[in-house]
Amino acid sequence: MAEIKVEYVTKRFGNFVAVDNVSLTVEDQEFVVLLGPSGCGKTTLLRAIAGLGMADEGRISIGERDVTYLPPRERKISMVFQSYAIFPHMNVYDNVAFGLKMNRLEGKEIDRRVREASELLHIENMLDRFPSAMSGGQRQRVAVARAIAMKSEVLLMDEPLSNLDALLRLEMRAELKRLLREIKTTTIYVTHDQIEALSMGDRIAVMKNGVIQQYDKPGIVYDKPANQFVGGFIGTPPMNFMQGLVQRHNGNVWVRIGDFNLDPVEGMQPLLRSYDGQTILMGIRAENMETLKQPAKDALQVEVLVVEPLGSQTLLTVKIGGDIVKVATHPTFEVSPGMDVWLRFPAEKIRWVDQPSGRVLYAV
Amino acid sequence: MPSAIGAKSRKKTNWAPYFLIVPTLVYLALFFAWPMAQGLLLAVREEGALLTLRPEPQSSSAIAGRLPRGTRVNILDQQANLIPPDELSEANLVTEVWFQIRAEDAQGQPVEGWTPGQRIRVREVDDNGAPLAGTVRPILSSTADPLTPVYAEPDGNSAILTALESPTPVQILDQATLEVWYRISGEQDGQIVEGWAQSRYIQVLSELTQGRIDRGNTSMLTTRHIQRMVSDRFFWPAVRTTLLLIVLIIPVQFVLAIIMALVVQANPKGSGFFLYVFSIALGVSDLAVGIVWYSIFTQFGYLNSLLQGLGLIDTPIIYLSARSQQWILIAVWLAEIWRATAIVMVIVVAGLQAISREVLEAAEVFGATLWQRIRYVILPLLRPSLQVALILRTILAFQVFAVVIVLGGGDIVTVLANETYRQYYDLRNFNVAAAYASFILLLSMVSAIFYLRAVRTQEEVTG
Amino acid sequence: MTVTADTQPAPDQVSPEVKAIHRRMLRRRRFSRALSYLVGILISLWVLIPILFITSMALTTPAEVRSFPKGVLPLIPLSFDTLEFFLRSRGIIPGIINSVVVAVITLVLSTLIAAPAGYAISRFVFRGRDAFRLSILAVRAFPIVILSIPLAVVFINVGIYDSIFALALMHTALALPTTVLVLSSVFSSIPYELEEAAMVFGCSPVQAFRHVVLPLVLPGIAAAAIFTFVLSWNEVFAATILTIQNRTLPAQVLVTLNQSSEPYQFAGGFFMMIPALIFIFFIRRYLFNMWGQITK
Repeated sequence: MAEIKVEYVTKRFGNFVAVDNVSLTVEDQEFVVLLGPSGCGKTTLLRAIAGLGMADEGRISIGERDVTYLPPRERKISMVFQSYAIFPHMNVYDNVAFGLKMNRLEGKEIDRRVREASELLHIENMLDRFPSAMSGGQRQRVAVARAIAMKSEVLLMDEPLSNLDALLRLEMRAELKRLLREIKTTTIYVTHDQIEALSMGDRIAVMKNGVIQQYDKPGIVYDKPANQFVGGFIGTPPMNFMQGLVQRHNGNVWVRIGDFNLDPVEGMQPLLRSYDGQTILMGIRAENMETLKQPAKDALQVEVLVVEPLGSQTLLTVKIGGDIVKVATHPTFEVSPGMDVWLRFPAEKIRWVDQPSGRVLYAV
Repeated sequence: MPSAIGAKSRKKTNWAPYFLIVPTLVYLALFFAWPMAQGLLLAVREEGALLTLRPEPQSSSAIAGRLPRGTRVNILDQQANLIPPDELSEANLVTEVWFQIRAEDAQGQPVEGWTPGQRIRVREVDDNGAPLAGTVRPILSSTADPLTPVYAEPDGNSAILTALESPTPVQILDQATLEVWYRISGEQDGQIVEGWAQSRYIQVLSELTQGRIDRGNTSMLTTRHIQRMVSDRFFWPAVRTTLLLIVLIIPVQFVLAIIMALVVQANPKGSGFFLYVFSIALGVSDLAVGIVWYSIFTQFGYLNSLLQGLGLIDTPIIYLSARSQQWILIAVWLAEIWRATAIVMVIVVAGLQAISREVLEAAEVFGATLWQRIRYVILPLLRPSLQVALILRTILAFQVFAVVIVLGGGDIVTVLANETYRQYYDLRNFNVAAAYASFILLLSMVSAIFYLRAVRTQEEVTG
Repeated sequence: MTVTADTQPAPDQVSPEVKAIHRRMLRRRRFSRALSYLVGILISLWVLIPILFITSMALTTPAEVRSFPKGVLPLIPLSFDTLEFFLRSRGIIPGIINSVVVAVITLVLSTLIAAPAGYAISRFVFRGRDAFRLSILAVRAFPIVILSIPLAVVFINVGIYDSIFALALMHTALALPTTVLVLSSVFSSIPYELEEAAMVFGCSPVQAFRHVVLPLVLPGIAAAAIFTFVLSWNEVFAATILTIQNRTLPAQVLVTLNQSSEPYQFAGGFFMMIPALIFIFFIRRYLFNMWGQITK
C-alpha cells in the first residue's frame, strides 16, 4: 500500500514561503498531477515528498511510514527529473541499472529488470550507447526506464516532458499514460502545462503561491473550477470573466451585463440574493457560448474585433462592457472583423465569481 | 552557444579565422617550437666537432672528407683565397697580403691584376707607408715555376691573366688580405682523408708541414653532453630529490585540494572569502614563497620562536643546514604544498561545478549513499579534471626551482631545475644546461603519457 | 471531493521514532556544516599566517627582523625602515621598473596576439580548429625550462640578450596559450546573435564587434590581462637566465640571495607578493572561469 499523505506541510526559503501549509492525500496507485504556474510551489512540494529539500513543518507519509525526515534513498521512491539527470559517464544499461545496483539486487535480476524497462520504453537497441550520442527524447526515455526499473511503489515526475519539442511531447504524453497505467505505482506528476494535466491525471491539484486552489478530477476542475484562478488557468482559451451588476426585484435576482440582463439558474438565486447592488464576475468558457448571426431576444449583441481561424474552431475576440471575451465557434461560422454577432449564455454553464475573494459560488 | 559561421559558407572557404590565428601560430612557432627544437639540439650537438675538407680551396658544397677536432694532419699545400674583412679576427687565421698591380708583360702588353705580395719587392712607398711600386722578385728555388702569376681577382681560384718574370717593374694600386687555405691529410679510422680547409681551423706546429685541427666547422651529434650531465656529481641527487618531492607532495596536494573544493562547495555563504583566500597562492611567485617559508624555518625564524615561546626548546634549532637535509626537504615540502595546491583546487572546483546538481540528486534518490555517490558519480565525472590537474601539476613539479634555492642554498639540496640554472649561469656550459632542460622535458612527457594511460585504464576496469 | 485552500494548525501527533530521526538529521547537518566551516577556517589560517609573518617582518625595523625570538604580536613596532632599506638597495628600484615594464609589454603583446585567435576559436568552425586548440593546450603544459636556455643563446646571437624586451618576448610566449583559451571562452559566452542583431541594424562585422562584443568582453579580457601581468611579475627562472644588467625584481633578489641580509630578503619577498595579492583579489571570480576552461 503506497498511499501518500501530505499533512500541513510548509517549506520556506528565507522569508519566502514556497509551500504554505499544504495537505493532500494521494490514493494507492493513483496518478495525481500538481499543476500551476512557475513559482507556485509544485516542484518544491514534489521535492519535499522526494526528500530533496525537506519540509520545515508538517508531515509526509508514504504507506504507513512517516518519511518526513528520511533521506531520499530510504523513502523507496523513483523519480524522473526535469533535465533527466542521466549519468553522462555511463551507458544506457548502467544508467537504467543504477538504482538496482545501489540497492544491491542480484545481477541476474538487475539484467532482467533493465531489459524489461528498456523494452517498455523502446530503448532496448541502445543499451551500450552513451548519453552524449543520444537525442533529448531518447535521454528522456532512459530517465523513465531508470525510474520504472526500480518497481518502486511511488513514482515522482518533475515536468518530464517540458524539454521536448511539441510533437514529441504529444507522442510521449500518450505513451507515458499508457505505460504508467500498466505498471502499478502511485504517481505524482508536476507540470505547468494544463493540457498535460487534464490528459493524464486521475486528479489534479492546482497550486498558486504555495497553496492548493483545487484538488479534484480533471472534469470537475475544468467544468466546476473552485475559483477564478483555476478557471482562468485551465482550458484553452482560459475561462472568460465579465463584470456584471446584481439586481433584485421582489423575489427575482438577475445580473446586468452592459445593457443585457442575464437570469441565473434557479439554484443560484438564493446565493446571488445577498449580492444585490454589487458587482459580480460572470465566468463562462469560450466554447459554451452560442453564437448567432441574427439578433435574438435572449442574446447579447457584440462587435467582433478579431477572428482567429484555428482549424478545429474559430476564435472570436469580442468586447463586453470593458472586458475582452473569447468566443469559440464552429469553423464554418462565417464572420469577419467589424461584424456584429449575438451571444447566448446558457445559464447552467455560467460560473458566478465572488469578486473580492475570487471564489466561485456553487449551490450545495 | 557560438554559431558555426564557417559552416554556413558552402564552397568558398572563410579565410577570416585563419588570418586571426596566424599571429598566434607565428609567434608560437618562433618563440616556442623553434627554441624548443633548438634546445633539444643544443643538448645533443657539439659545435665544431668536425672539420669538413673540400676538394677545392673554396667553400663549395662538395665534400672531400671530414676529420674530427684534434687530429694531427700533414700540410701539403697552400693557397690564398678571398675572405670577408669582418672575419679577419678569427683565431689561427693565416693571411696573405696580395697586391693589385699594373705592369707590362713579356710582350709589352699592359696587364692589371692581382698577385701575392711576397712575389713583389716593394721599391717605393708613399707617405703613409703604403706600397706604390716595386719589382717582381726572382724565384730562388730551381724546381718551382720561375714566373709569377697574375690573377684576375684577389683569389687564388680565379683565372690567371698572365705570368711575369723577374725583375718586371710593377705599379702597386691596391692591396687585399686573403686567407690561406691548406691542403691537409689526416687519418681517421684507418683511412687517409685529404682535402682543403681554411687556415683558421688549423693550428700550424713548429715543423711547418705539420698541423693539428684546432676546431671544426661542422656539428656532430654526440651524447657527450648527456654523459657529462649524468656523470655530474649533482645529477643523481637532483633526480632523486625531484622525484622524492613529487611523490611526497602531489598526493597530499590532491587530497587537500579536494577538501578545499568541498569546503567551498559546502559553504555558499562563506565561499567568496574561502575562494579568495585559497586562491591567494596562485598569485605568489615561487621565490616569494621560498622567502616566506625561510622566515619560518631560519635559525631565528618563527618556528623556533614559537617553540621557544612554548618552552619546548632552549636554543634555536638549525633546520636549513647541510647536516639536517631532511629538514630542508620538510621545509620545501611544506612550502610547495602551501604554494601550489591552489592550482589543483581551482581545477577541481571548476570540475565539481560542472557536475549538475540534479545528477547528484538522482543518485541519491536511486539509493546511493554518500560514499557511493562519491565513488560512482563524483569521481568518474571529475576524472577529466583530475587528469588535467595531475599532468599540469606534475610537469610544474619537475620545474621546482626558487623554493629549493632559497631553502636549500642551491648546494645542499638541489633539484633538476637548479642544476639547469647552475650549468648555465655558474659553469657557462650551455650544452649541459640544455641537456638538463631536455631531461626535464622528457620526464614531463613521460609522466603525462603515464597519467593519460593510467587514469583511463582505471575507468575501463570500474566501468 | 473538492478541497480548497483553508488553513488549520498542524496537529502534533509525531511518533517518538520520527522525532529521533529528525533530531539526528538536524544534528548531523549542523555538525557537517560546522565541520566544513572549521576546516575552511583552519586552511585559511594555514594560508594567511605565513603571509602575516612576512608582512610583519617587512613592516618593522631591521633590528626586529634580526631579533630572536620573533614577537608573537606582529607589526610591532611598525616601521618602514626595512622596506626603505630594501628599496634603497642597489638594483631594486631599477628591478621594479624592469619588472613593471616587462609585465606591461607582456600583457599588451599577449592580449593583442591572443584576442584574435580566441575570437576565431569561439566564433568560427574551421578545419584545423581542434588541432589548433589541442596544440595550444599542449603548449601550456610544456616546461619553461626547456625554452629559456636556447632562447638565451638565440638572443645572444641576435644581440638582444639582456634586454627587457627579450624577456617580455619570452613571457608572452608563456602567457599566450592560457590567454588564447581564456579569451575564447570569454567570447563564447557572448551569443553570436548579438553581433547578428547589430549587423541587421546596419553595422559592419567590425563595428558590430566594437560596439556589441567589446564592451561585454572587456571585464574578461581585463582579468586575463591582469593574470598575465601577475604571471610575468612573478616569473623567476627565465628572468634570471635572460637578464644580467637589466634584471627584473625576482631575478635581482634571487641572484643576490647569498649575500643579502635577512631584512633585505624579507622585504623583497613581501614586495614581490603584495601587488599579486591585490590583483588576484580583483580577479578572483574569473580565476575559476579561466582555469576551469582548461578541462576539455
